[in-house]
Amino acid sequence: MVKKMIDFTEEQLERYSRHILLADVGVEGQIRLSSARVLIIGAGGLGAPVALYLAAAGVGTIGIVDNDIVEVSNLQRQVCHFHNNIGKAKVESAREKMKAINPDITVIPLEKYLVADNIREIIRDYDFVVEGSDNFPTKFLVNDACVMESIPFSIGGILRFDGQAMTIVPGESACYRCAFRNPPPPDAVPSCSEAGVLGAIAGMLGTIQAAETLKFITGAGSLLTDTLLSFDAKNMDFHKVRLQRQDDCAICGKEPSIRTLVDYEQTTCGI
Amino acid sequence: MHITVNGENKEFDTSSLPITTLLEVAKVESPDMVSVQVNGKVIDRTLYADTLLRDNDEVDFLYFMGGGA
Amino acid sequence: MSTITTDASRDCRNVGCPMNMVYTKVELAKLSPGQVLEVILDDGPPINNVPKSVVLEGHAILEKSRCDDGTWRILIRCGKK
Ligand SMILES: [Zn+2]
Repeated sequence: MVKKMIDFTEEQLERYSRHILLADVGVEGQIRLSSARVLIIGAGGLGAPVALYLAAAGVGTIGIVDNDIVEVSNLQRQVCHFHNNIGKAKVESAREKMKAINPDITVIPLEKYLVADNIREIIRDYDFVVEGSDNFPTKFLVNDACVMESIPFSIGGILRFDGQAMTIVPGESACYRCAFRNPPPPDAVPSCSEAGVLGAIAGMLGTIQAAETLKFITGAGSLLTDTLLSFDAKNMDFHKVRLQRQDDCAICGKEPSIRTLVDYEQTTCGI
Repeated sequence: MHITVNGENKEFDTSSLPITTLLEVAKVESPDMVSVQVNGKVIDRTLYADTLLRDNDEVDFLYFMGGGA
Repeated sequence: MSTITTDASRDCRNVGCPMNMVYTKVELAKLSPGQVLEVILDDGPPINNVPKSVVLEGHAILEKSRCDDGTWRILIRCGKK
């Protein structure tokens, strides 16, 4: 502990001074952040602010998975991508900005789709996962894989003016399936024309997920475990629903029916 | 009877009502995009019509939100 | 001068708020509960702020004395970890 502390340079002490000053973070918390490994799933609306804040916070190793390239329609909300990045791989674009904010961290860009066949092996390298994908198949896949691998994670969703987030510590707190059971029928998922999103909503929810990540690593405060936090930014109403583990949950229940991961059919238009 | 829906009190002139009826009364546009929790138990979507709500039940609507990009 | 023996010392002269508190916390993090840290602080906001913050974080101020050059010397007993 003491030896690692001495590793902070003068510049790092200044960089992280506002963390070190916090009684609930302090020098020890900053050391934990520096040695933490976090995987961000999706370099989009949620992943962008998560990537920037975790990089700024000095999370030592940050993996980021996405298979898309930057398009002009992303720029209304995916704040880590700039106009001159159009056409570039999102993970590369994100890595550039993260390193520009904080050269001390290691960023691992993973330009690929997460599927049943590769997800467990990928997430195994990390202490915490932030799910910020744009579709239910991925959200359920990440939930199931993280429960199987016992990796804590934050899962979020946004739609129009609304956002929701929960934090899951497998084996201890309710999982995404405990709350939602199965993906909704594909024909019920809002069509593209119904499914816009106010740009800043992505920032509101992404920073909630980033804060949960930092709290998990440092041990500060209490997490959104067994809790679904939702907000409606039209009226700025925030609401928490208490959840509990469901005995009959298909993945974390008493007799899980899901033993191997499967890919659900993809129905998304990228919100 | 009296139930709470997402923390708000609601009164009904009946002694029981199915979840499907509550979803209609509450003007939930797309019931397939809602997970319903009754007294801490999340109900399977296929059982909404058969699950009767009783006096003093605490109901939470959990809305599916799939966006993130 | 007191007779209390110190286990570590940090000169925070010409170090403003809040970096003086950051350095103080870094030194305290290296100590065990019960050990004593000496910190030299400037007059004004530093001597008004740092001792208060140190106490709020569960440490104790054993001594606070004015030095000849107008700065302050405080002795902190490291508290809980
Ligand atoms: Zn579960």
